[in-house]
Amino acid sequence: MEVVRADGRTPNQLRPLACSRNLLHRAHGSARWSQGDTIVLAAVYGPKAGIRKGENPEKASIEVIWKPKTGQTGKAEKEYEMILKRTLQSICLLAVHPNTTTSIILQVVGDDGALLPCAINASCAALVDAGVPLKHLAVAICCGLTEGGYVVLDPTKSEEQKMRAFAYLVFPNSSHSVLPKAPSAVDEEPGIITSVTYGLMSESHYINCLGHGHAACAKISEFLRKSLQTQFPGDLSKGT
Amino acid sequence: MRDLQLSLNQTQRVRLQAALQQLQDLASQAAGSSSVTIADTIPVNNEDGILKGHGTSELDGQVVATLCGVVERVNKLVYVRALRARYKPEVGDIIVGRVIEIAPKRWRLEINFSQDAVLMLSSMNLPDGIQRRRTAVDELNMRTIFEENDVVCAEVRGFQHDGSLHLQARSQKYGKLERGQLLTVPAYLVKRRKQHFHHLEQYCVDLILGCNGFIWVGEHLETGENNMLEDREKRPETSKSNMIHEEQEQTFTPLEVRQHICRIANAVRLLAALGFILTVESIVDTAEASASSNIEIKDMLGPEFYVQTVEREVQRRILLSRKRV
Repeated sequence: MEVVRADGRTPNQLRPLACSRNLLHRAHGSARWSQGDTIVLAAVYGPKAGIRKGENPEKASIEVIWKPKTGQTGKAEKEYEMILKRTLQSICLLAVHPNTTTSIILQVVGDDGALLPCAINASCAALVDAGVPLKHLAVAICCGLTEGGYVVLDPTKSEEQKMRAFAYLVFPNSSHSVLPKAPSAVDEEPGIITSVTYGLMSESHYINCLGHGHAACAKISEFLRKSLQTQFPGDLSKGT
Repeated sequence: MRDLQLSLNQTQRVRLQAALQQLQDLASQAAGSSSVTIADTIPVNNEDGILKGHGTSELDGQVVATLCGVVERVNKLVYVRALRARYKPEVGDIIVGRVIEIAPKRWRLEINFSQDAVLMLSSMNLPDGIQRRRTAVDELNMRTIFEENDVVCAEVRGFQHDGSLHLQARSQKYGKLERGQLLTVPAYLVKRRKQHFHHLEQYCVDLILGCNGFIWVGEHLETGENNMLEDREKRPETSKSNMIHEEQEQTFTPLEVRQHICRIANAVRLLAALGFILTVESIVDTAEASASSNIEIKDMLGPEFYVQTVEREVQRRILLSRKRV
């Protein structure tokens, strides 16, 4: 039975993605990521000298500040900050700039479901814009489980409220070799960076969600790759 | 740098697309290096003896990119160069900045950076040219040297503990810049060269390419002690406003020089909007081409000259690649 969604999408279809970088002049890196009506603006400052008390001085430390669209920052924002901090710590190369702090500030411009994945994508693009060395890119997606046990990708806010359970999943991006490799038969296991679940779902449903999410992340990964490569002849600076 | 608002008609659009396509092809042919995204493997032919530079790391015996950019190889060094990188200041860079604040014993300048740069009073030559300790009177007279919104040229001396820049302007060629235009371009378009101060003889124009992306185009003023002494003598005399008027009329910039300044400034704006690296040769070429095709200075930023510039650049690159081969 096909699940009918309110905005006419199929269960595996994502909302239109848009990414623009280098918006803010004073920040070292900035990016704006939008999935449908959910829009997040991320700014990266750093690496700056000095480290906060209690952090390990042999590694770089990451500081995340989340600014909600309306209202004051509360417990929910602190939770998002913590999740983002742990995710970004695992993708950044922390040993390259020891004893420094990189600050990432997120501003929610629009919230229509799947806010945390949008924020993770935006902060990853902003880190790339700032030139911070990363191990791999983090691509995030929200998978929801409807009452009938079907997996639905990238739900809107109204869909999220009606769902039995949903999960935010973050995968590393798919890598390309610059030389065409012989097509290797070895399919690597999809690694997962972060997983946050809300609601009750059984293990088989969770594995199902992981599979769908991984496939969708490959699509988002392609989109990210295209948007990171220069589209305008900014590369014309070479060749003189 | 704001993008130019262009309204191209159909033929111009077609020509522009064709020219941009040719440039892309030339760039990818000539360079031979490839653009990588994070976590892409970089092909290396001999595994031992490869030095892994910035932007790379080792993973499972393969060299993997940690930055998005273009792979560069220099002998045995392989590194990833980020495109559109922010301005990364180094000691000894020539910088053009604008004074935004006067603080005790220092000036704060705005340069195209996340923090403001600091120019200490002790790093600046006093108007009377004598080397002495700065007294409280000097501190009170800081405004006579630089005021707010003055454009200043200086050199990076070092970094402060919080990462902001420390400048010095002790040589005759640094200091206040007058009678000209300040332009802002993205910092990656200005590469570090041996010379950043250029005197364009045929136009009587000074061109200073600041490494932070601020470009100064102004009338050529003789640098030297005569200039400083003259100013100092004139200053106590011009206490009355009518005297200042007379002085200004005497040292008025002639109309021709002003036109040259505007032409060069428009050439810089055009090249920056196209994303070409700014060098003296390319700026002068563009200005000369516009003069020879009798294009009005205000039309230089128009669609026709825009397309012509791209086509000229295509020709130049083709010639260059033929010379190499």
